Amino acid sequence: MSEANLLDTVEEEKKQYIVVTIGSEQYGLDIAFVDNIVRMQKITRVPKSLPHYRGVINLRGEVVPVMSIRRKMGLEDDVFTKASRIIILKLEEQGNVGIVVDEVKEVVSLGQDDIDQNTRNTNREDANFINGIGKNGDSLISIFDINKVVDESDYI
Amino acid sequence: MDVSQYLDIFIDETNEHIQSLSDSIMELEKEPDNMDTVNEIFRAAHSLKGMAGTMGFKRMQHLTHDMENVFQEVRSGNVSVNSELIDILFNCLDAIEKYLETVKATSDEGTEDNEVLIKKLNDYLNSAEGGDGEAAPAEDAAPAEEAKSDDAADGDAAYLSIPVDDEGRGKLSAAVDAGQKLYGFTVHIHPDCLLKAARAFLVFKAIEDFGEILIYHPSSQDIEDENFELTFNMIVASTSDDMDGMIKAITAVSEIESVESGEVTPDTYAEKAEAAPAEEAPAEAPAAAPAPAASAAPAPAAAKQSAPAANAGKAAKPVTARTVRVDIEKLDSLMNQVSELIIAKNSLVSISSTEGGSFDNQTFHEQIEYLERITTGLHESVMKVRMVPIESTVNKFPRMIRDLSRKLGKPMELYMSGEETELDRTVVDQIGDPLQHLLRNSADHGIESPEVRKERGKPEQGSIFLNAFQEGNNVIIQVRDDGNGIDTDKVKAKAVERGIVSPEEAENLSKKDIINFLFMPSFSMAKEITDISGRGVGLDVVKSNIEALGGDVEVKSEFGKGSVFTVRLPLTLAIIQALMIEVRDEKYAIALGSISNIENISKSEIKYVQAKEVIHLRGMVIPLIRLDELIEAEPKEEESDNLIVVIVKKGDSLAGIVVDNLIGQQEIVIKSMGKVIDNNKLISGATILGDGEVALIVDANALF
Repeated sequence: MSEANLLDTVEEEKKQYIVVTIGSEQYGLDIAFVDNIVRMQKITRVPKSLPHYRGVINLRGEVVPVMSIRRKMGLEDDVFTKASRIIILKLEEQGNVGIVVDEVKEVVSLGQDDIDQNTRNTNREDANFINGIGKNGDSLISIFDINKVVDESDYI
Repeated sequence: MDVSQYLDIFIDETNEHIQSLSDSIMELEKEPDNMDTVNEIFRAAHSLKGMAGTMGFKRMQHLTHDMENVFQEVRSGNVSVNSELIDILFNCLDAIEKYLETVKATSDEGTEDNEVLIKKLNDYLNSAEGGDGEAAPAEDAAPAEEAKSDDAADGDAAYLSIPVDDEGRGKLSAAVDAGQKLYGFTVHIHPDCLLKAARAFLVFKAIEDFGEILIYHPSSQDIEDENFELTFNMIVASTSDDMDGMIKAITAVSEIESVESGEVTPDTYAEKAEAAPAEEAPAEAPAAAPAPAASAAPAPAAAKQSAPAANAGKAAKPVTARTVRVDIEKLDSLMNQVSELIIAKNSLVSISSTEGGSFDNQTFHEQIEYLERITTGLHESVMKVRMVPIESTVNKFPRMIRDLSRKLGKPMELYMSGEETELDRTVVDQIGDPLQHLLRNSADHGIESPEVRKERGKPEQGSIFLNAFQEGNNVIIQVRDDGNGIDTDKVKAKAVERGIVSPEEAENLSKKDIINFLFMPSFSMAKEITDISGRGVGLDVVKSNIEALGGDVEVKSEFGKGSVFTVRLPLTLAIIQALMIEVRDEKYAIALGSISNIENISKSEIKYVQAKEVIHLRGMVIPLIRLDELIEAEPKEEESDNLIVVIVKKGDSLAGIVVDNLIGQQEIVIKSMGKVIDNNKLISGATILGDGEVALIVDANALF
């Protein structure tokens, strides 16, 4: 085992997550996938697109599709407030995709020990998009499985 | 001398010479006595030879030299031209093109000697000089040789087939003579490994405890520079029998995925070397050694990319950049416009600084208009720089039709016009394959056999036409033949047989619908599969390729008389003039090129045909399309009496799009919307308006 490998393992122990609120719950997004966080702006509706896509926005000259995670999880539709943000995810396959969240709270570092992976006890609709529950002090954070969130293979 | 900086020019010019050779040889076949053509060919072959020589591509030089010899004899009248010779010459051209491909991919000519071809050329010369015009039948020489070298490369494990030069073989035999054993190893590194060279070094280090590494492949220099894929090979001389121990030592290095190994003898490599002399390349030659021009035999330059490396190199990026040759006049006008742009910017700056920010005076508006004119002009100039004539793509077709004509035994001729028509470079690059499909289709399925043609009272020689011309914002390329045409009854029967439609449905289909079946995936009409067409991958690929470029294909056909395939392509890809319209509070753009006119129509003028809304306008019946319904906008509370209708055209047909409001004409930049949302035909893209808002572009062609 060389030194470089040891360093890697040390760094891999903790991952950073962006904590957002959607409804009354807190969700975590792996920071490695997050390209950008932008304020709410005018979203242009795209006719005949998938129902959970709100449309497209102009992100500094690029056209980026924006998805409503609430619609995808079957929650009630977004209400845009001053705190609403669009989180731009950078994905290898799909390129950039934005998701709408109610509020961005903070960035936390969680180790594997802080994340409970055995949370198969729910039958909520959004359970499919969660791959663990993170414990940060007293609060619980549902960690999104980003690839599942943006996976459209069931729709197309 | 380092010639790598001339590589791009070499590739460009070689392409040109190959094309002009191909054209001239075609001409020569028709008029074997035309001395001008022979001279032209001689010149082109001579330049090719010279350039290949300068670049140090010995094999290419050798081949072109022998071609030149033949032309020399033709020129002096010692040899007569017949189709045998023409075939050989075309084979030679193919071989040169292959060299060029290899050069493009690896900046080296590869190791194909094409001895068979060269021998054929010389045989032809000799036999012709002996007064006997008979030459060996033209066989495809190149594939045979290729197969041979493939065999050599595809040994069991990679270490068995690494190239070993004389020096290396000497080392191997010396080690055996000294009572040592030889082991070959192929080491696979884990794909995620970041420091491949370091891992390789650790492997070498571990092995050196057991014995001496005699041969590295790739060379140790390349391995050090990380110039290798995920595997490397080595041959080790050792006194110990402990091969398992060595494997263990190698796998103990982290990020090594697997090891293949076995005992080898010097003979293993001696045989290989004999079987494929082409692969004989010094494995340990210094990596960057440029070819010393004097040395003969296998060029040392080949060492850098010895044969297996060249195989692996196929997946790698070509070393040359894609280029466009630009007329200096175009650049001059571009420069002029940029100067004007700077002047316009300066006057705007001076206005804003002198008048304290009050912008509603006349000079300001004049300047804005001026600026607008300049940017439009600038856009046009830049587009023109990207435009190249389709000539470069269509030029290879006469040769292809000639080959097909001989292969199929059907006399036919290709007539081309409008080769000077210009299109965006990207489109020109990609239009070649679809056009080739269409032409092959015409040659194979369209043109009948001479006997049938005679019966039908047509000239025995079939004609295929390729016409290109500009029409508005589109370029039209037509492939027309005077052959059999499409037998709609047969296509219908086939569609029923395939279960695509029921027999009853088939009766009601229009001719156009039936012809459209031909564009469906895996719908081939050929009774037997030939290598020319008929694998059922033809027309649907043509259609999807052309649609990917933003164009479309149309077919008209008359049974017994021939068919016309019309390919319509957009002139430009990135920036278009568009009409901005409004539906409720949403803005949309419609490409100006597809708009015929705009009409104000009172509600009472709407008529109904088959329960669909149409309007009767200047003798034409035009179907109405309610854009608000298509885009699922909120229904309007009350419809006004006057409707604004944008009439769009596609080919001969018209349609009227009902919109709420017209905003005006605007130059828009087309942006893609990202994959996840891009699954709808109605919207062809998006654009960003002056206020930063995104507006969608309605694809008028999809409305028909």
